[in-house]
Amino acid sequence: MLIELNSLCRSFGSFTALSDITLSLPAGRIGVLGPNGAGKSTLLKILMGLLSPSGGTGRVLDQPLGGDRDSEGNWRLRRLIGFMPETESLVPGLTGIEYVSLAGELYGMPRRDAQRRAHEVLSFLELEEARYRRVEQYSAGMKQRVKLAQALIHDPPVLLLDEPTSGLDPAGRDAMLRLIRTLGVDYGKSILLSTHLLADVEAVCERVVIIAGGRIRSIGTVDELCSRRVNRVRLRVQGEAVAFRTGLEEAGASVVGEANNGDWRVAVPDGWANLRFFELAESHGVGIRALTRDDETLEELFLRMVT
Amino acid sequence: MPTQSESLLRYRPWRGTLNGPLSASVAMARAAIKLLFRRWLYWGLFALSMLVFFFFFYGQYLVVWITTQVGSDTVRFAGVAVPMKDLTKFLGRLALDGSGHTFGNFIWFEGYVVVILLALAGSLLVGNDFHRGSLAFYLSKPIGRWHYVLGKCLAIGFFINLATTLPAIVLWIQAGLLYDWQTYYTENVTLLRGILGYGLTLTVSLSLLVMATAVWLRQTVPLTMVWMGVFALLRLLAGWLVDGLKADERWRLLDLWNDLYLIGAWFLRIDPATIRPAEQPPTWQAAAVVAAVSAACLLYLRKRIHAVEIVS
Repeated sequence: MLIELNSLCRSFGSFTALSDITLSLPAGRIGVLGPNGAGKSTLLKILMGLLSPSGGTGRVLDQPLGGDRDSEGNWRLRRLIGFMPETESLVPGLTGIEYVSLAGELYGMPRRDAQRRAHEVLSFLELEEARYRRVEQYSAGMKQRVKLAQALIHDPPVLLLDEPTSGLDPAGRDAMLRLIRTLGVDYGKSILLSTHLLADVEAVCERVVIIAGGRIRSIGTVDELCSRRVNRVRLRVQGEAVAFRTGLEEAGASVVGEANNGDWRVAVPDGWANLRFFELAESHGVGIRALTRDDETLEELFLRMVT
Repeated sequence: MPTQSESLLRYRPWRGTLNGPLSASVAMARAAIKLLFRRWLYWGLFALSMLVFFFFFYGQYLVVWITTQVGSDTVRFAGVAVPMKDLTKFLGRLALDGSGHTFGNFIWFEGYVVVILLALAGSLLVGNDFHRGSLAFYLSKPIGRWHYVLGKCLAIGFFINLATTLPAIVLWIQAGLLYDWQTYYTENVTLLRGILGYGLTLTVSLSLLVMATAVWLRQTVPLTMVWMGVFALLRLLAGWLVDGLKADERWRLLDLWNDLYLIGAWFLRIDPATIRPAEQPPTWQAAAVVAAVSAACLLYLRKRIHAVEIVS
């Protein structure tokens, strides 16, 4: 099991950042999804052993939470994890190669190995030509990639990525997501991706944990999440619509909103056949001018779950 | 079959043995030294510290040269005839004779440059980590906060010793070469130990003080102002109270650089009665003040360099 948490809580004074987090996640690509301030970063820091929980227990990669150390004083857990923080966290004045190489040495790699490996990782992340430039001169996309490089330097089995697409333009975001997915799919890394962007999770992850207000709202595969979407149809009705609307609700459908052009958004139960619309329309003396499938988007589903 | 560029860009696994966290502290110190070496301001300050060093270096040489080589009663400096006895009296006051006072005075005078240099080092090496969020980079690695403190203190200690202990050792070697070297080195090996002891005291106390003030203030200008307050204004205040108002000599304990000098003088076996100004507190009191300041810095660092900082 990658992560097992049992009734985990974390408070800062009177503010409760995480409350009763219980989950069990196998290795793989996992998205931690939630709006800003949901408690995602706090959860990542607890998993890293950077913060201790106020209550509850847990294990990551079969290591107890809280930075358990071996006889030499090494933090076992952090050696198995590569962490990419959300904050800039660069060391201004160092070149890309020095920064990544320093990260390797901080993980405990011998100096020569760290230098060699830094070259390899930067080449893999297509920063080969920029590696001798100072990190503060990098573009936003390059900064995100060099941060990923420092997390990858010691070849950890698990990557914790905190908002890795933050501040990137669409092309840069797409490239970063492809890269993360490649690391997971082709190179077997377990990835814990913390983000508030559903599309990022969709692009990379197999499983998703939705957090809001410090509580878990949903856990499951991305496919399961998608299956929770409400089946919706967009209808344009001509004629006396009030009775038709009542008829729809009696039949199990419901009008959940109206589009700008007056079209209805109708949520329908599973197994609904569109022929029923026409039967009801005929019985209520109205005409259906347009009927299009308009399922709930993942963003709408996400918002529905977190509010 | 992949093309050459595809295979080159492929991610390669790494398998090897990882070292303990102390090697991480050394790596951190190495990176920090590199960062400061890349600053022109550092080299300007280093040049200033070298000026003090060369003054003492050539001063020691001049003392020996005057006493052994000059036969006349006067020496001409820029066309002005200076009586030999005045010149030797002046040089005698500076104690440029390879005694404990020479090295004590040297490190005392280096203090003016070291204070500014440490303000720069503090803001660049420690303040930036908080200011720019680099702390998350360090503390997310398998090291503890004390390894972080150790790494930074090693770097700061390197710069302190580069400006004080190392040139003082060169002066000690030079003094031996100027006099009878076999006698000097064997009889004054305690001075070498004294220089190292003084250097160690400076390294430990000042690096902790730099760390604590840099963590508190984070930027160069406020850091320099506070350092000037601690090392210049408190010195003036202490001098005014003790020498001007004839207050109790313990008021001089406010002058931290003087406290460090008193500890250094003890290491260098300097007779306390020969220290000027004469009204000085006992060495143990100076040592207690330095120990208290260092302990306060440690406690402050323990509180501040906490993982919670990464969250904010």
